[in-house]
Amino acid sequence: MNDRRRINGPAGATLAPFFDDAAPQDLDTRSTRSRPPNATRKLLLKTGVTPSASGSAYLEIETSAKPGLSGLKLSCSVHGPRALPKSAPFSPHIVLSTHVKYAPFATQQRRGYLRDSSERDLGIHLETALRGAIIADRWPKSGVDIIVSIIEGDQDRETSKLQGDEVWDMMNTLSGCITVAAAALADAGIDCVDTVAGGVAALVQDADDGSAPSIAVDPIPSEHKRILAACCVAYLPTRDEVTNLWFRGDLPASDLDLYTSLVGHGIQASKNANRVLIDCLSGTVG
Amino acid sequence: MAGPTISLPAPIFAKISPHPFLVRSLTRSTAADHPPCRANGRATQELRPVRFNATSLSHAHGSALVRLGDTTVLCGVRGELLPVERIPQFRPVDKEELRQQGENNNGNCGDAIGRGELRDYDLLVPNIELATGSAPQFLPGVPPTTLAQTLSTRVYSLLHSTGLVQAGDLKIWYSPKEQRRGEDVEMGGTGDKEDGDEEERPVAYWVLYIDLLFVSFDGNPFDVAWAAVVAALRDTRLPVARWDPDREVVVCSKTERRRLNVRGLPVACSAAVFMEKEQSEAGAGPREGGHWLLLDPDRLEETLCKEVITMVVDCSDDETRIKSLEKQGGTLLGRELIRGYAGIAERRWKEVRTAME
Repeated sequence: MNDRRRINGPAGATLAPFFDDAAPQDLDTRSTRSRPPNATRKLLLKTGVTPSASGSAYLEIETSAKPGLSGLKLSCSVHGPRALPKSAPFSPHIVLSTHVKYAPFATQQRRGYLRDSSERDLGIHLETALRGAIIADRWPKSGVDIIVSIIEGDQDRETSKLQGDEVWDMMNTLSGCITVAAAALADAGIDCVDTVAGGVAALVQDADDGSAPSIAVDPIPSEHKRILAACCVAYLPTRDEVTNLWFRGDLPASDLDLYTSLVGHGIQASKNANRVLIDCLSGTVG
Repeated sequence: MAGPTISLPAPIFAKISPHPFLVRSLTRSTAADHPPCRANGRATQELRPVRFNATSLSHAHGSALVRLGDTTVLCGVRGELLPVERIPQFRPVDKEELRQQGENNNGNCGDAIGRGELRDYDLLVPNIELATGSAPQFLPGVPPTTLAQTLSTRVYSLLHSTGLVQAGDLKIWYSPKEQRRGEDVEMGGTGDKEDGDEEERPVAYWVLYIDLLFVSFDGNPFDVAWAAVVAALRDTRLPVARWDPDREVVVCSKTERRRLNVRGLPVACSAAVFMEKEQSEAGAGPREGGHWLLLDPDRLEETLCKEVITMVVDCSDDETRIKSLEKQGGTLLGRELIRGYAGIAERRWKEVRTAME
């Protein structure tokens, strides 16, 4: 059933373009990581992009050297705090509602306008990450809306085969969402215990020959042969607290050190992002 | 006895009683140093500067970011393929007929057929998303608002009526002769037998998904959205596609790209009609009181005005052509005013063109 409130286009389904004449030498050259394993990509963070909102921010992650590879671009707006509607039940603290939405042109496949499960998933993770940072009981009976639009996803345009990369892409996207939402919250003047920022670390295997996997910070899925596990951490640096931890992949349960070191690297990445966040906020918000 | 005088700072006055505030600013004392202006400090006919930024997205085939004051729109154009066998009522255009009619009417009729194709097969799909938190009234999680639906439909119909994109550009042909010629050279030229049943035929169309995302909303959405659509279409480069008869699919080239041929540069120019009397009072006598034409209205002004005029002009061939003129409501606008308005739209057109280049 088509949504009649939008313009849906032709009745027959359309196909995404199918590319053919790839030069054979292109097929196997996965770009390799040029950064050291503990270095994150450069971030650009700006507040106040949506003047009509109470607070807003824009985040862009540097495009890597390869031209086809796009960096992440996020825009976030915060509306509130404002009174909850009369019908809402009493709440002694602020009610957060987070929305994460991919723009239709953000990824290789065209996205629809309705939120899909991955977007809802991202929204829930974002909410948990922020709830730990906001001083919620300062605004009883009020609500705040946090809306993140993913203008451009972190995805390689050139790779034709998608080997389950979306899952790992979501990690990077979530960490960006957390950082940008924290900046927008600060821009809106909503009191937080600390600035929260996201960081990603992954256990990657770069060679086929069964060599020992290594840990890389801020991974780009297309730069690695295989990603075994990844975690996204939302971290408050001054309180040394993790507000949200999302772990994915499979690791042997016996090796507990691996888990802690993966989370430790995630925290490292989050600290890097936090530095950018603090720089940006001290420049604009005062 | 006179009551205590309360003086309010301007922003609070504007918030609690916007209509009288705007009237007061427009009719302010005619002192020489203070010409009457709107609440936002602009003169009634002053437009906000417009800025363009093209090719900002890498997953789209064409894109543009347009800023008009505090309104920011991002537009991405993405082409997808529609094979002819998926079109329910596909009827191939007879080439012979097309050529004859083209000769008779200097190409106008072929044009009409092309437009028919665009409309019949629905090859242009513009959609506008306002619910991105671009303004406090547009929050996500709800179906598209009336405004978003109206805007999408207006952009859709204007795309078709201005003939910005031609169906010919979106058609992918398969010509067996050309492809066989290459083989013939190798085989010694023995082909040419099956020519009768293998005519040159269209195999697929490009469908252009034109998605607009409001990053920030501060009034005058149609002008900005339309400018973004035009800029993104001018920026669009579709991959060169051909039909692969063996695999029966349309194959695109990874390296070769062809610029979309965009005809003309229509520019929209909107103004809101602001009545001196508030809407509730105006019900009694709508003709009473003066009115102002506020060009390029912002968010506050749009909430106070019910009528909007939009004129779309194109001056690309040294002559101002009015492509579309829309107006709702019953305020009397004389011929002189419309003519004056065309002048303003022309000025706008020049600004947009310089900003785009």
